[in-house]
Amino acid sequence: MLKAIFAGVAALAVLAALPAQARTDRIKVHGASLEGNLEGNSPDRDVLVFLPPRYDSDPGKRYPVVYFLHGYSVGAEAYDALAKFQEAVDQAAAAGNEVIVVVPDANTKFKGAMYGASVTTGDFERFTAVDLVKHIDASYRTLARRESRGLSGHSMGGLGTLKIAMKYPGVFSSIYAMAPCCVAPTSITAEQLQAAQAVTDEQVATAGGFALATPATLSAWAPDPQNPPHYFASGIKDGAVDPLIIARLQANAPLVMLPQYLPALRSLEAIAINVGDKDFLLRDDTLMHEELNRFGIAHDWEVFDGDHGNRVNARIRSDLLPFFGRHLDK
Amino acid sequence: MIKALIATAAGAALLALAGGPALAQNITAPAPTIPPGITVEAPKVPGPSLAGNLEGNATEREAMVVLPPSYKTSPNKRYPVVYYLHGFAIDGRNFYNYMKVPEAVARNAAAGNEFIVVVPDTLTKLGGSMYSSSVTTGDFKAFIAKDLVSYIDSHYRTIANRGGRGLAGHSMGGYGTWTVGMTYPEVFDSIWAQSACCVSPRVETVESAQKLSSVPIEQGVKGDFGTRAALSSMVAWSPNPKNPPYYADPPFKDGKVDELVMAQWANNSPLAMVAGHVPALKSFDAIGTDVGTKDGLIRDDTMMHEELEKFGIAHTWLTYEGTHTDKIAQRFDEIVLPFFAKHLDKAK
Repeated sequence: MLKAIFAGVAALAVLAALPAQARTDRIKVHGASLEGNLEGNSPDRDVLVFLPPRYDSDPGKRYPVVYFLHGYSVGAEAYDALAKFQEAVDQAAAAGNEVIVVVPDANTKFKGAMYGASVTTGDFERFTAVDLVKHIDASYRTLARRESRGLSGHSMGGLGTLKIAMKYPGVFSSIYAMAPCCVAPTSITAEQLQAAQAVTDEQVATAGGFALATPATLSAWAPDPQNPPHYFASGIKDGAVDPLIIARLQANAPLVMLPQYLPALRSLEAIAINVGDKDFLLRDDTLMHEELNRFGIAHDWEVFDGDHGNRVNARIRSDLLPFFGRHLDK
Repeated sequence: MIKALIATAAGAALLALAGGPALAQNITAPAPTIPPGITVEAPKVPGPSLAGNLEGNATEREAMVVLPPSYKTSPNKRYPVVYYLHGFAIDGRNFYNYMKVPEAVARNAAAGNEFIVVVPDTLTKLGGSMYSSSVTTGDFKAFIAKDLVSYIDSHYRTIANRGGRGLAGHSMGGYGTWTVGMTYPEVFDSIWAQSACCVSPRVETVESAQKLSSVPIEQGVKGDFGTRAALSSMVAWSPNPKNPPYYADPPFKDGKVDELVMAQWANNSPLAMVAGHVPALKSFDAIGTDVGTKDGLIRDDTMMHEELEKFGIAHTWLTYEGTHTDKIAQRFDEIVLPFFAKHLDKAK
């Protein structure tokens, strides 16, 4: 359906003889880093590629790329429905900021990859930083170098942005985390662990929102290949919560990771973090901002008027793409 | 518990090495015999990754480089390199002394296993770098995996690729083998951890946290093994450039154990790291680890072995009758270097 609509729009545009027409590609990218994952997530990921309007009419030109990672509980298409990336790319290009935007799908059995290097979910960190970037550079006329690659994301995608920037320095030169989730370390109770183990296929099929967030984080951060059916650790040892599972979960919190990844963060040309003043993540994200300050890592920090999701569309246009326009080499 | 283990290990080390009477002293050992044909060099290796560290640790580090006999006589031959990381409260040269590295290199070369062995010095103000990436101590992970490797590859006839590089270490160096290996898997082909310390997350009680947080730095630098090991962990794992004189966050805050600091420390625990580094670990040609049955660290090291098993990560796991230190030099010669001989590319 969507394809048909896009095709229709494209046809109209050609008929109207507009100078150039933007193109959205819906492609599959194979992730060697996702092969053999225990949840059965497809290693062939849907990826949306939003090309600037003159991409086809100016075949000698190469473009910077902004990677955008979507949030938890939905996939790339749902984010596009919200963000309308092609329109944003067109508007940015009209303002002289020509970029390719790439949105990979990271929806999994439990509704979100949570960006762990997990045998259970698949290594979505590496998929993003290595497999995806390689595929895009090989398939499109990108400026295939660090200085022209940006990484961004919202909520779970903001988490992925921070983690991947720390763990894969050298791939992206600038990062933009919008309302990143899961920044601060949290604990977990025996009841939560037991409930996560007991999740049924039916719940997996029908649950919405954040109902499966706990099993999603356990799959990503505390995988256990010997504990079917979900293949994450029970987290219970001698009748109590195993301190090791807490350590494993906390090891994925950007606030916890930060002191060990300062050289990676300092090597970035620019960092932006922002969050709405009515967002439930305001406190956590403020901690991240303060922690960056404490370590003297320059970054743009903004608290805007909004909640967790109501400004995503607007701020991609007003702030995110202009940020990369300023920092990525053209 | 962890403190007790470290204290035991320290006691064993000091007894075994007949170290000086003062506990704060770093461990020393007499210079080893250098067998005929063996060349030993001690270059100062620049460490850009250590620049600007807040403890004032030297950014140029001595590395003991032991060359096999044919290095001089076969000027076109290239060699695999085993990087060997020392433990806590000792420097690189004294570890090289204690491990009798020249003799091990000579014996292995005579058996057809020719290596260059490199022992870098990572002694810091408080007794050990923990081979971590800290603005306070310096980024010793990158120093080992990048600065040192690139220096050795550009100054010696090495097999300058992954297939020609092994990483090993004892105690804190065994810990470094795990963490540097997991962080920079593309650099090394195979790894071996001897009696690795600090494998499970370091935990503090309110009392121990409070005590650790109140050690004046003048006493800290002279403290006993356990105190200095705890302080070294703190500056390596919860650095804070705005909190002099240690430039680190102590584990005690507002009358409680600081949970963020505990989480930051746990994030440096190999046992907590495995689950997030399975692809890195599986990418090694081979992994080995061993520990003595009389070493207090056997419990932790067994947990590491079990964790690797759980994730289906192939590895050699050996226990032997011995303490934290009494068999390690012999085992470097008889077990560790022959292990690398099986897995690294041969001298050619």
